[in-house]
Amino acid sequence: MTQAAPTTPGRAGASSVLLGVVGLAGFAALLEVLPRAGVVPAEYLPPTSTIGRALVAQTERPAFWTAFLDTLQTWLTGLVIAVVAGVVIGVVIGAVPVLREATASTIEFLRPIPSVALIPLAVVLLGTGMEATLVLVVYASFWQVLVQVLYGVADVDPIARETANSYRLGRWERVRYLLWPTTLPYAMTGVRLAASVALILTITGELTIGTPGLGKEIEVAYSSNAIAAMYSLVVVTGLLGVVANVVTRGAERRVLAWHPSVRKEIPA
Amino acid sequence: MTNGSIPIRRLRRLSTLLLTTALVVAAGACGSGSPEPAPPAAPGTPDKVAVGVIAIVDVAPIYLGKEKGFFSNRNIDLDLQTAQGGAAIVPAVVGNTYQFGFSNVISLMLAQSRNVPVKVVSNGVNSTGDANKDFGGLVVKDPAITSPKGLAGKKVASNTLKNIVDTSVKEIVRKDGGDPSSITFVELPFPDMAPAMEQGNVDGIFVVEPFLSAALAKGWKMIGAYADVDPNLCVALYFTSNQLIQTNPDLVSRFTEAMQESLAYADANPAEVRAILSTYTQLTEEVRAGLTLPKWKPDIDQAAVAKLGDLAVADGLLTAKPDLGALLP
Repeated sequence: MTQAAPTTPGRAGASSVLLGVVGLAGFAALLEVLPRAGVVPAEYLPPTSTIGRALVAQTERPAFWTAFLDTLQTWLTGLVIAVVAGVVIGVVIGAVPVLREATASTIEFLRPIPSVALIPLAVVLLGTGMEATLVLVVYASFWQVLVQVLYGVADVDPIARETANSYRLGRWERVRYLLWPTTLPYAMTGVRLAASVALILTITGELTIGTPGLGKEIEVAYSSNAIAAMYSLVVVTGLLGVVANVVTRGAERRVLAWHPSVRKEIPA
Repeated sequence: MTNGSIPIRRLRRLSTLLLTTALVVAAGACGSGSPEPAPPAAPGTPDKVAVGVIAIVDVAPIYLGKEKGFFSNRNIDLDLQTAQGGAAIVPAVVGNTYQFGFSNVISLMLAQSRNVPVKVVSNGVNSTGDANKDFGGLVVKDPAITSPKGLAGKKVASNTLKNIVDTSVKEIVRKDGGDPSSITFVELPFPDMAPAMEQGNVDGIFVVEPFLSAALAKGWKMIGAYADVDPNLCVALYFTSNQLIQTNPDLVSRFTEAMQESLAYADANPAEVRAILSTYTQLTEEVRAGLTLPKWKPDIDQAAVAKLGDLAVADGLLTAKPDLGALLP
């Protein structure tokens, strides 16, 4: 990550990382002190050190790693499907005015439906395996990408459009040189939002449907009265979210290296 | 242009991924979507059987039996899938996502009364028969409550309403000479019961292991147990769909035999049961060592099942006596 970061803001980046670590350490310290001081019952909210030990114990269980990989697989599969479908459908709908107008109301109707409301449907149709959770993941994260791409396509500079007309660019060339460069920054934002939404829905699906993965392990720990183990698994899912954010932000910087919003960070 | 080639390569990688995932999804959808009867396997290839269970102590025999080869011996390739509860398992068995499932007795009677096509194939789990040392018990915090009838007019936590736990509590109170109709039942998951009693939200809880040991370790008192309902109380059973019994009766009888062997083996080898628990639960070694294990009888105690049926009718859960001839094998 540090290699990719521009040189001058590097110092600011380092200090923000430092601040982030300090903040996290402060939170961990608070979580250590509160149960020990008896402010919250230690039995139901164990101190950080206990959760840490439980986390180490988890990493020694083969079942934990199986669950970890299951979660990664469901999450990334769902994300890839949502991103590809969102980008392709978004570009097609966005580029054809008739389609855009015909679908606008339908999209606005479907988009606010909470993905978890589809759990019964997914279970009845697909059982309790990975497919059922994938339905939730794809449904929730697809809209994030689609809506961003639609905005992106609508944002094409009129002058650039007219220039493309003057040059008589073909259909494919328009998509490649006109639509895509305008849409890409929007799409990348969509991907970043979709990545965290997809993770949330992956864990939700595992927790409520029982699809194998970390969410299910959390449920098993809960029904085994293993409270520290449960918190340690929650911590793992949080760390996954942090990694997702760091990776998508890094990807954004790389893919959009040419874009003014990223380029301007380099000193003139 | 050198920049341009990178996104295209990425796109190619992405499209490969998409294709793969689309195939995986399509294959999965075909596999579980259509409830086709499992045809008898060709000689030599074992029957793939998915069983829906709950990740609790009660189902240790089937995990142990799988490990011991009691199922593979009988040409059954067992895939144990954990679900949240009977409510999720029954539809999955009827839809043939699971070929067999684990459910408590009352839930199966309720399913039968709604014409859900299920039939029991094996015993599941029984009370220890010792009211002082059972795997499910009624616990109170208030020392003033010394016997079940003292719960009259109080609040008691049950994991599900109108099911086996509140039916058991009512019978325990009734047998003690108390009035079960004066009890208010509060629906709470087992893990949340002890905190609720600690906060004074309920006056009594009916918990199963490992929560029973944890509650007793707090110094709380057990005033009733499954054994008080019936010393041989049959709590849960393994079942299948009527469809599988018709299409593959040979598989069903092999599963029943394997279950009988597993139940008998588990009952005779508690140390191995405590060890196998670490593979599918998160129980710590200390907790596993201290658990009160249930009784695992290889055969179904018909009288104990009938008794629960009578209680379900008496408490208004069922309008008519369950047809045990049709429900039990």
